[in-house]
Amino acid sequence: MRNLLAKLARMDWVMTACILLLTVLGTTFIWSAGSARQAASLQNLWAVHACTAALGLLIYLALATFDYRKLLDLTATPFYVVSLVFLFAVLLIGAERFGGKRWLWFFQPSEVAKLAVILFVAHVFGRAGRESFKWFLVGMLLLGAPALLILKEPDLGTALVLVPAVLVMLLAARTWTRGLVALLLAGLLAAGTVLGTVYVAERDANPERRAAIYRFMPLRDHQLKRLRVFLFPERDRRGAGYNLHQAQISIGSGSLWGKGLKQGSQKLLGYLPPSVSMNDFIFAVLAEEKGFMGALGMLALFLGLLLSGVRTAFRATDDRGRLLVLGTTTLIFCHLYVNVAMSIGLMPITGLPLPFISAGRTFLIVLMAALGVVQSVNIHRED
Amino acid sequence: MKTSPWFALALGAVFVFGEIVLASALFRLQVLNTADFREDQAVQTKRRVRTPGMRGRILDCKGRVLADCRPSHGIRCNLEEFQRRGAASNTAAAVDLAVDRLSRAIDLPRQITSAQIARHLRTASAVSLVAWQDLDDRSFARFCEHANEFPGFEDFTEVERVYPNGSLAAHVLGYTGRGELEGFEDDPVYFSGKEIKGREGVERFHNGFLTGVPGEATVWVDARGFQLTRERKDLIEDDRDGDIPPSPGLDLTLTLDLDLQRALEDALQDVTGAGVVLDPQSGAVLAMASAPTFNPNDCIPRLSSAVYASLTNAPMKRGQNRAVSEAYAPGSTFKPITALAALKYGWLPDDEYDCRGVYRLGNLRLHCWDRFGHGPIAVRQALEQSCNTFFCNLGSAVGTNAVLEAARAFGLGAPTGIDIGGETPGVLPDDAWKRRAYNEPWYPGDTCQMSIGQGMLLVTPLQMAVVAATLANGGRVYRPFLHARPEGDGPVKPVGTLPFPAADIELVRLGMKDVADKGTGRRILLRQEPPAPGTYRRRSFRLNVDGAGKTGTAEIGRGETKRKNTWVIAFAPYENPTVALAIIVERGESGGSTVAPRVHSVLASIFGETETTSARGGSNQLEGRD
Repeated sequence: MRNLLAKLARMDWVMTACILLLTVLGTTFIWSAGSARQAASLQNLWAVHACTAALGLLIYLALATFDYRKLLDLTATPFYVVSLVFLFAVLLIGAERFGGKRWLWFFQPSEVAKLAVILFVAHVFGRAGRESFKWFLVGMLLLGAPALLILKEPDLGTALVLVPAVLVMLLAARTWTRGLVALLLAGLLAAGTVLGTVYVAERDANPERRAAIYRFMPLRDHQLKRLRVFLFPERDRRGAGYNLHQAQISIGSGSLWGKGLKQGSQKLLGYLPPSVSMNDFIFAVLAEEKGFMGALGMLALFLGLLLSGVRTAFRATDDRGRLLVLGTTTLIFCHLYVNVAMSIGLMPITGLPLPFISAGRTFLIVLMAALGVVQSVNIHRED
Repeated sequence: MKTSPWFALALGAVFVFGEIVLASALFRLQVLNTADFREDQAVQTKRRVRTPGMRGRILDCKGRVLADCRPSHGIRCNLEEFQRRGAASNTAAAVDLAVDRLSRAIDLPRQITSAQIARHLRTASAVSLVAWQDLDDRSFARFCEHANEFPGFEDFTEVERVYPNGSLAAHVLGYTGRGELEGFEDDPVYFSGKEIKGREGVERFHNGFLTGVPGEATVWVDARGFQLTRERKDLIEDDRDGDIPPSPGLDLTLTLDLDLQRALEDALQDVTGAGVVLDPQSGAVLAMASAPTFNPNDCIPRLSSAVYASLTNAPMKRGQNRAVSEAYAPGSTFKPITALAALKYGWLPDDEYDCRGVYRLGNLRLHCWDRFGHGPIAVRQALEQSCNTFFCNLGSAVGTNAVLEAARAFGLGAPTGIDIGGETPGVLPDDAWKRRAYNEPWYPGDTCQMSIGQGMLLVTPLQMAVVAATLANGGRVYRPFLHARPEGDGPVKPVGTLPFPAADIELVRLGMKDVADKGTGRRILLRQEPPAPGTYRRRSFRLNVDGAGKTGTAEIGRGETKRKNTWVIAFAPYENPTVALAIIVERGESGGSTVAPRVHSVLASIFGETETTSARGGSNQLEGRD
């Protein structure tokens, strides 16, 4: 018991405080977004979020006090395998919602897989002799298998944030560094090429030529549509560009201090689509009701969380621990960046939740668990 | 350890950089460009609704009310209370059902169709739907009693037109109807209800004057385009800065005199015809009537198809203002114009023509009404006697162009420009016109026919009233008008002056005085009652004023459809006339017997009449004809 208290005393309180405050923020705005809805289940969703956060906090504390090395030894491999099985299972027997198979019973396997992949990659690469090209291929396999299964659901956003998290870990682990950097640059170039091609094709007035260009593009229709909205937001504001346009109006009309809690007229009048106002577009609600200062406050909390993670990674006394902290913080940063950037039109729209704030039980639990492990790295470092 | 702590710091720098990018993008959006987005939001959330002002009244020249406003109760449906999920047709069905239920519960037949509901939802869901309008008091009271049982429906009061004098001056006033604002039917952000607008008469011509300036109110709508329900309305900051209150329309004062108008309509009540009374010193219309008439209150709030049919169906055409929109052959009332034309081009006042009872010109044989002929006759006497052969000869002698020029000087063949719609110009035929209309050249006989007001010549009663007014005032042609000029505007300027010497005009006036004193128009001044039962003495009444006039009997059609349209133009008093008029009665006997007594009764309403002791006792002083 004394041991447990001593461990808690070593805890990084900045991180814990940021987590708590972000959870409160999330609960508040889920409550606010729900208040504009008719269904009681949606009006009370904030309570579900709060309870999930409480459960998550218990898991967070439990994992924080449990030695992460023991945890990795015991669970990294079976957890990874089991989550791959779940990803298979969801494709076979998952429930179909909003045009995708993402749900297995009460949770989303793709969210769980994020943690499983980070833990397993840290477990495998957090030791000497993993720098060769061969191990790079292994890393690609460890990332590729779940990523492909997730893409199949389809859940492009989750697959996309998993990639930078794992790449950062491999980079930190010095696995085939030169090749990895080249690959990163190639990836950026490929993304730029795709975007540039779509831009050129859309500027072309000739529909036949446009169709000819798209025949060689590895993009699905809805993805193409999102890129089009990103590049030419003013073209189809009543159709494909509606969500983005309304989110921008919500955020932009929030001004410096916002319209006040529950007063977001965009949300109240249903211009910000109610189906996304609690999930992927909850940042628009926050920014409308609390304005630029509210958004800045939220960014500051995230920065506190991320930088406390960076400090943990900096001070880590073990490769595995440092890798998993780097992977987790990168994952959270990607979620934050992609979510906010897509809400204001800096990035194409990708369905990705805002950590701690968007309603979503699986992701919240996974986040808490991942940060618990990060905290464990902090607590169990050797001074 | 192979991993470097500095890698973590580098990653931290990336995080900080990423957050700075987000924060600056948000700063641009929320602080620098926030006005644009507030504007965008206002555009999609706010709708403008027109609020009509109260329509101005219409008054006669003494301030008596001809058209007024009354409150009108209706029931409207707040669509937002009936919103249903899914397709818009679900909401339409819900509204439809609710209207049906209300219709049954308070025993009111439906006024709107399902299609109208669907259309309203599609085009104007931001404004409430008028389900019933202009309810009678009992139905309205029944609804108010049960209003609580029908959430989403509420009563409203609007203003509706009413004509307190019923059919009086119906053709001048016209009537109003409700209609959607033109040009805004599919405007997604600007709405107006069905507003009152003038459909006919001065209601239509002076609609802008009467309507006033409509105001605007702001309405907030949700993403589906419905107005906010009450609960949600409280949540929105309610800035009503942009609201503009409506300004009521102005009262329109007409030149009509209610008493004179009534006298004129009474004089025409049993016939088909029209009459116009003008002030010869200004052109102000003192009375204008068309018979048969209608009650404009029947047209409000909606013109039902039955009423519409009664207004337009031939031969009655109750809705037609015959005073301006029907053209007739003027008959002998045209002769003063022929006389002036001839006097201008060399016919002397004392030049005589020997009337032998028939005028021959090629194949044409034109009979004078006096079969034995008037004998040698000069202009003044020919006017008094209305000698056809004399004027045929006169017209032929001076030629078509001289007659046309004179007619044009009086304004015939062109609209007078009165401020009421539906005016027809009539026909002033010449060679070119005849070739166009009939593909025939102009024959000398046509000139002859025109000289006595027959043939292809067509004029409106209003035009003949202008002719009477022009002769009355000695040659100034005024544009007739209905909208009274503001006081202190000075004398009205004539639009033209007759190009004839004053002496010629005076001669024609004298001829017309003879007509009224002893000629064909004696009944203008004199009225005789048949002997009372048991007596043999006729009672005679004479106008308390002297006057002048000209009768006319135009024969139209052949065989079965042959009929006579009978005219009188007149003015009084003879010196400094204050009244000039023209009256036509369709299918009459003759101008002197059919119309002159009606003119007498109109003039008597102004000047009064006195019983005279007749020198010849029981004899009939009024024998004779045109």
